[in-house]
Amino acid sequence: MRHRAPVGGRAVSAAAQTPRQERRQLLIWLVPPLLWFTVFMVIPYCLLFYYSLGSTEYMTFKPGFSPANLIRVFRTEPYLSVLLKSARIGALTALGATVLGYPVAFCLAFHTRTPRAKFLIYLLVIVPWWAAYLVKAYAWKTILGTNGLLNALLLKLHLIHEPLTLFLYNQFSVVLTLIYIFTPFAILSIYAQLERIPTSIVEAASNLGATTFETLTRIIIPLSLPGVLAGGIITFALATGDFIAPALLGGPNAIMISNVVINLLGVAFDWPMAASIGIVVIGVGTALISVAHYLEHRSQARF
Amino acid sequence: MRELGSRRKAWALGWAVLAFLYAPLIVMAVFSFNDSEFTSLPFKGFTWRWYSMLLDDDRLLQSVWNSVYVALGVVALSSLFGLPAAIALDRYEFPGKAWFARVVMLPIVLPGVITGVALLLFYMALHFKLSLYTIMLGQGTALMCVTITEVAARLRRMGRSSEEAARTLGANEWEVLVRVTLPGVMPALLGAMLIAFSISFDEIAVTYLLTGRQNTLPMMLWSILRRQATPEVNAVSTLVVVASILLICVGTWLSRRGSGEPIVAPG
Repeated sequence: MRHRAPVGGRAVSAAAQTPRQERRQLLIWLVPPLLWFTVFMVIPYCLLFYYSLGSTEYMTFKPGFSPANLIRVFRTEPYLSVLLKSARIGALTALGATVLGYPVAFCLAFHTRTPRAKFLIYLLVIVPWWAAYLVKAYAWKTILGTNGLLNALLLKLHLIHEPLTLFLYNQFSVVLTLIYIFTPFAILSIYAQLERIPTSIVEAASNLGATTFETLTRIIIPLSLPGVLAGGIITFALATGDFIAPALLGGPNAIMISNVVINLLGVAFDWPMAASIGIVVIGVGTALISVAHYLEHRSQARF
Repeated sequence: MRELGSRRKAWALGWAVLAFLYAPLIVMAVFSFNDSEFTSLPFKGFTWRWYSMLLDDDRLLQSVWNSVYVALGVVALSSLFGLPAAIALDRYEFPGKAWFARVVMLPIVLPGVITGVALLLFYMALHFKLSLYTIMLGQGTALMCVTITEVAARLRRMGRSSEEAARTLGANEWEVLVRVTLPGVMPALLGAMLIAFSISFDEIAVTYLLTGRQNTLPMMLWSILRRQATPEVNAVSTLVVVASILLICVGTWLSRRGSGEPIVAPG
């Protein structure tokens, strides 16, 4: 899809302008953003790497060239276990958001008849996605807390006799809140993929005698996988790096990697260690982008 | 026929999920009118008290303006540099293109805290003083990918035929840009501006590390929430949600008018 244009396009534009002109134009477009990203992204990330190789003495940074801190990320507690826990929370979030998001995306793609209805449901999905993040996290705090709505409801129904504390300040509340926050995003990315499935494929399946269940499990779900995974990867990455939900709704057991980085900076003044964690996370992030790119391209080649 | 399976069952599930998405927002809005110091039951009666308190809170109002100021700067930066990047990525081939595309997308998947730490080190090395402008530069860099993806996608759908037609008819490159390309990408650019504005308005992780003495609204809310939460927070949150609904309607309308495709904000 993406590489279709150059074949015909090149020939015509080459007739209109010389390669040298084209190169000059490319430079006009490319150089400003390239400079910007070099100054404000590449150099800062290089600095991060530089700092990760140093050490601290009496709370001040001492330059150096030792991979000791990078090794410490994997060898010393609690860094690796927090990293893995964050990844687990991120994975649970991606899974939960996908499971909750799929039915809505499915309804939107297959059971919404008029464009007007589609637009309205679409708006309904987007509003919670764009509502302030802190507000959403805080709303869950008021629902799950000891004096919260959930406890009040359970007390009223006489299911419990005193307020329960197990809803808030643990990994459950963090995962629930993150799932809540990322479900709209999952809906949007799954819907984008479902919408591309041609009606003819669904009709063909039913003409050939497939039941609804068979069509769903053997056609719709497999065809939607690239979108599910691409959305899931971004959800995973964003949820893994989150620091608000754990700080606001998580107890001591739900500290995540971003909270550790902030503590290293603000409390321990251990910049090299914070930078080392950053470098490890950037490595994982780059790998994730490559996977997402690959999935996106594969899905584009499909139909 | 596109409909698959039972319409009723599918929608029952769909509405259940939508109810899950709206319950907390409704809870928050309801308690912003509750005449009680605490955000908990029982409901003690209707009041506008928290909203009027809000209007008297100068620091909170100042933080709203700071947020608007930062968000406008972010929108300007990300359009100014994102548009050329999108044109370069879609219309030209150059060595290292795949890498450039990847580096540009990196801030989406990286935790904001990491981006924040890297920029903080950079500012410290240059002895920059932290201010609203350092936040602006940080968010602008992180959100440029929104503009780039939206505009590049639009350019790809547009194809090059109109531009080539204009060229064949004797337009020079400047005329092609101003009269064909820019009007064509305008809906996507406006959509991206709104997305960047709303994400910036809500951004905490990068801001947390780069903030100086002046605070943005989310930072202000964050400090209030960490100390004690009064229903004032609910009131300001409700207003923010209402404002974002308005923004979304305008944004979606703009982007649909142009492309017929919905906008998806990637984070």
